Amino acid sequence: MDYKYIEQLLDRYFRAETTLQEEQILKTFFAQGAEDMPQELQQYAPLFAAFDEQPVLGDDFDERVLAQLPADIVPLQPKQVKARTIRLTERLRPLFGAAAMVAILLTVGNAINQSMRHDTTWMDADEYANIKVESLEPSVAYDQVTDTLTLAKDEIPMPVPSDSLLNGGID
Amino acid sequence: MTEISFFRTDILPLKNELFRLALRITLNRDDAEDVVQETMLKVWNRREQWSELESIEAFCLTICRNVALDKMKRADSQNTSIEESGEFEHADRSYAANPEEQAVQRDRVELVRKLVGQLPEKQRTCMQLRDMEGKAYKDIAQVMGITEQQVKVNIFRARQTIKQKFLQIEQHGL
Repeated sequence: MDYKYIEQLLDRYFRAETTLQEEQILKTFFAQGAEDMPQELQQYAPLFAAFDEQPVLGDDFDERVLAQLPADIVPLQPKQVKARTIRLTERLRPLFGAAAMVAILLTVGNAINQSMRHDTTWMDADEYANIKVESLEPSVAYDQVTDTLTLAKDEIPMPVPSDSLLNGGID
Repeated sequence: MTEISFFRTDILPLKNELFRLALRITLNRDDAEDVVQETMLKVWNRREQWSELESIEAFCLTICRNVALDKMKRADSQNTSIEESGEFEHADRSYAANPEEQAVQRDRVELVRKLVGQLPEKQRTCMQLRDMEGKAYKDIAQVMGITEQQVKVNIFRARQTIKQKFLQIEQHGL
């Protein structure tokens, strides 16, 4: 094998005149390590061997870096939204206080109202007796009811069957 | 593509390249790992700049180098000694047939590694990016913020120094 070319490349390499491709040729040449390589060339083999070293980071490096990125921007796993069953009573619990307050107000208000009305509608025994007599007259009451019903019979329209509505029965 | 998926597919895979550069500068595996982690976070925090970048790789390498240099400066000011890293794995060359020869070969590779570690940082970084990572002068210049000519000069000096020291030790011993 002719080593002239390699020797020439080496000279240019040490003068920093080689291209990347030529440097690759040198690397490959020394990595292959020809059996009959002259001593002058072989002495440079460790140099190129040293350039070939490729220390690497551990496998867990990526995860450690990703874990350090702000979690709100980079969810490592999509955020889990868990369905939670809420019972109706639980759901309405915040309103319980308000409901109780309303109930109290109504009760108290009603009580006050009742007592007030009681005051204004107070009747003495005679008045009460008159009303009773008037409304309890059976024949009068009967006539009134009969008249009302007769009137109502003429005024209130009879219900119309629903399908006749569809057939223009309203006309 | 969302920012996080770009980060996963285009930035995180640069970790080992960044790690080797950081290791070349700090000469310590733990420090280098810290540097890469910090670099990744810095790159993430500047994600609004990603779209304007010509090369995300050069951007990451620049940040990585600056973080590593900062770390070295801090370590210097705290007067802590930087351990020599033993993390660059020994290369196993196929032509070194017998175990004895392999051991000698390993020692030589180890020696080169130490010599590279003794170079000034700029030469070391230039050499790392060129000889180990196979980068163009133009890209190295961009990463380091110097001219292509300066990159070339640094690489020239680095290769000359390694060659001379290595041959001197090989021929005359330490």
